[in-house]
Amino acid sequence: MKFNVISPKTKTDLLKAMKNETYFRFGAGYTDLIPEMKKMEDIGYSIINLAQLNDQTFRNIKRGQDVIRIGTLATAAQIVNDEFIAENFPVLHQAANCLASSQIRQVATVGGNLCTASPSGDISCALVSIQAQCEILSESGNLRLIPIADFFIGPRKTSMKNNEILRSVIVPINVKHHEVHSGFLKVGTRRSMECSVVSLAYHILTDKKAIIHKAGIAIGAVAPTIRYAEEAGNFLLGKNISSIHPDDSELFANEVLKYASPISDLRASAWYRSEVLFNISKSILE
Amino acid sequence: MKKNSPIAKLITFTVNGKEFTRYVIQSMLLIDLIRDELGLTGTKTGCLEGECGACSVLLNGAAINSCLFLAINVEGHEITTIEGFSTGEKMDEVQTAMIQNGAVQCGFCSSGMAVSIKSMQTRSRNESRIPTRHEIQKGLEGNLCRCTGYIKIIEAAGEILNK
Repeated sequence: MKFNVISPKTKTDLLKAMKNETYFRFGAGYTDLIPEMKKMEDIGYSIINLAQLNDQTFRNIKRGQDVIRIGTLATAAQIVNDEFIAENFPVLHQAANCLASSQIRQVATVGGNLCTASPSGDISCALVSIQAQCEILSESGNLRLIPIADFFIGPRKTSMKNNEILRSVIVPINVKHHEVHSGFLKVGTRRSMECSVVSLAYHILTDKKAIIHKAGIAIGAVAPTIRYAEEAGNFLLGKNISSIHPDDSELFANEVLKYASPISDLRASAWYRSEVLFNISKSILE
Repeated sequence: MKKNSPIAKLITFTVNGKEFTRYVIQSMLLIDLIRDELGLTGTKTGCLEGECGACSVLLNGAAINSCLFLAINVEGHEITTIEGFSTGEKMDEVQTAMIQNGAVQCGFCSSGMAVSIKSMQTRSRNESRIPTRHEIQKGLEGNLCRCTGYIKIIEAAGEILNK
């Protein structure tokens, strides 16, 4: 395995490298990239190595007044260890914590999970449920912000252009609420090192009387991209989370299912994926 | 390799407490640097795709897979391999616990297991918190033992982490 590596240390060097290189891939945690490159006979691109980039906006998780800004070079382990995220966004904490193994979480980055654009990306699915925004930096230094739902356009395809890099994801801090019902359910064929067969991210906020006033639902591994199940979330608004009628739970699960268009592959059949998605959707309200 | 080039890069890093300054081929993997260049063959070559954990080493105290890590990215960092656990005749307490608990069968996964247990020990000491049995199992999820001697390995880890 031979390839050329450029290791920018600063943002200026990074933008310069993006301008100078014609064919390149970004390398950050390398947990997907190295196995992929090993299978190639001839690696026809250079690697812009982000592992030595010394830029805090890319690296840190920073809490502001209304948002949390997660640098795309933050690792899954950094997410897992962040107490504010664990408390306020259990969905993100759990998704990061069930990614691969502890060795991989130590190096795998948020940006890698997003830019791989796998329909079964765990951190990505959680970020869709909490309606994060993607902050994209172009080689000329311009920034643009897009909703994460517009970031994924197909399996392994994002809406980013060749001369752009994802710098941060921006998560709006929860609006005023009494309780957070939030979590990440991942069904696979084993517990560790598993790519989801079906995943469901939910982030539901309730008021003092347990009435739902915000509900974000996202599903993974059941469509060409991770989907934000907007109508399913809307269906829950105004309902009391502690006394949801079983019929409503089923109606909710059906709403979620409308966003799924699963395929059969070596990991599971389309039928199985739909059944599991229906059942786990129902289960979060029980 | 003698000089900085698009192929090789001069880096400084620490392995088992000893500082090295070397020219390293840019596309070289950490596992090859450790085993082939430094001759530390206690770190094992298993699946080479981050599934089995036999190649685990500590990067600044936390376990990573050396088969999925570019060697040049250890620049300025501290690596500990299984060879760095014992000092002369004295074994590390993780190694002692593994032997006493019979947590070694064929031995191929053992160095990776010891590295993962060490990583958990460092973390639990930093956080002053004893991990649960479930957390220990989770901490070892990236290490496969094909002799399937997991129970004794988990017990050895429990003994160390409960101290």
